[in-house]
Amino acid sequence: MNDNRRQILDMLASGKITAEEAERLIAALEKGGVGATVMSETDKVKYLRVLVDTKDPVDGPTKVNVRVPMQLLRAGVRLTGVIPASAREEVNNALRKEGIAFDINNVTPQNLEELVEQLRELTVDVDNENTKVRVFCE
Amino acid sequence: MKGEILPPLTATVHVKPANWRFGIRLWLPLFLFWLLLLPLLVLALPFLFAAALIFGVRFWASIRAALALLAGFHGTSVEVERPSARVFINLH
Repeated sequence: MNDNRRQILDMLASGKITAEEAERLIAALEKGGVGATVMSETDKVKYLRVLVDTKDPVDGPTKVNVRVPMQLLRAGVRLTGVIPASAREEVNNALRKEGIAFDINNVTPQNLEELVEQLRELTVDVDNENTKVRVFCE
Repeated sequence: MKGEILPPLTATVHVKPANWRFGIRLWLPLFLFWLLLLPLLVLALPFLFAAALIFGVRFWASIRAALALLAGFHGTSVEVERPSARVFINLH
């Protein structure tokens, strides 16, 4: 079952839509199945954006706008695949010492794609008196 | 974007100090830099190969990963705006 169909059924289950509306939506989904697949391909997350807006009392306002291609993230993670096993263990130990329970052995191309896909939903907003930081994917 | 294997070939840099009427726009042919670097890389390959053997790193996988990393810079842009100046860098 794909995500769209599940979403429709969830909406039906929660009473947000009627059975007829759900049927219509599913029919439309089936009709546009090929188009939907193409759209999801082009709809892939391409960039990670970081926007920083600071108001420094001395230096004045500063705006930083960084656009990082997801391809760079993918390539960076792919680099972990060539780290020798002994070094990986050292990295894991160092992460554990910092209180980060993360095993870099779990970083595989399959997991990476899943991770990148999940980043689509990511938006980090940090807002304090003098600084605003926004991190999101597009 | 998928399938891009070349590193960024050009970069544009735009610098505009606040007290200047016009900014400076530079178009940097990065491909010349890669062309210059290529013979050095070829010379360094045997040493890199030896180092990979010693440290137990998969050589060709590392080369592929490094190239993918360089290629990943396509489309990177950085823009910094301050009261004193505005700087914009874009890699193509």
